Amino acid sequence: MTPRIVEVRKDILKKNDLAAAALRARFRDAGVFVTSLVSSPGAGKTAFLARTLSRLGQRYRTAALVGDLATDCDAARLRQSGSPVRQITTGTVCHLDAEMVDRALAGWAIDDFDLLFIENVGNLVCPASYDLGEHLRVVLISVTEGEDKPLKYPTIFNTSDVVVVSKIDLAGAVGFDREALLRNVEAVRPGMDVIEVSAKADDGLASWVSFLEQRFAVTVT
Amino acid sequence: MHELSIALSLVDAVCEELPRIGSHVSVKAVHVRIGPLSGVVPDALAFAFDIASSGSAIAGARLECQDADGRTLEIAALEIVDDAENC
Repeated sequence: MTPRIVEVRKDILKKNDLAAAALRARFRDAGVFVTSLVSSPGAGKTAFLARTLSRLGQRYRTAALVGDLATDCDAARLRQSGSPVRQITTGTVCHLDAEMVDRALAGWAIDDFDLLFIENVGNLVCPASYDLGEHLRVVLISVTEGEDKPLKYPTIFNTSDVVVVSKIDLAGAVGFDREALLRNVEAVRPGMDVIEVSAKADDGLASWVSFLEQRFAVTVT
Repeated sequence: MHELSIALSLVDAVCEELPRIGSHVSVKAVHVRIGPLSGVVPDALAFAFDIASSGSAIAGARLECQDADGRTLEIAALEIVDDAENC
């Protein structure tokens, strides 16, 4: 029997996109601004987030979800900031998806938060495909990783809204070429904002926080 | 790993379509369109698809990948054979 062709035209990640859209609507209704963080493992997402939470903690009600394959080490570290933190352990899954975020939020009164942070699993590839309903996606790259990361992983840079360059206190020691990185970011995503920080030296965090506050103000009003 | 998650979503999405197409059909092939910014590699997806589809209603179906623009990641069409009636 000859096969017949049935046209379908259906988005494969529609289920995730629908879950992400539902989350986004919930976040909007609750008046909470959601930022997600993506990077390779060890780029300093947790240290950066810990600093961010302590800086924002006096003025805003903050909370965080943090994804890893195993352990709740990161949640324990972040709880020291005083913000409510929940760990999402993914087992062997290399990224967070919208349903994992939805499940992790169960029982939390998100209306009580102004700013929610979602730290993704350390991975520059897979998280690019999954919308989490966030308002702002931040891609971190540490100076120790090399300036060519944007060229090697263009998809994650193209699905993110801002680049945070971390560990700038080590820039001299590793011979980091700042101009080359800026050029590479520009090549992949013209006009993308780049913010340089050191969580360890508490450097550049003020610019990051004011950037975040501006986005928060225009999104959730 | 990531392609396996995508393949599982793909199999679910195809199986959801089946009742709309007909009750006595077999899926011979699934045609998908994949953009360069979707974050999905066709070869890896094809590998994962066989694992994801085994034991499902579309076990044994082929995966045909076509290039598309931007972040496109969609099922374009299904190749269907109407099963012979048993009467």
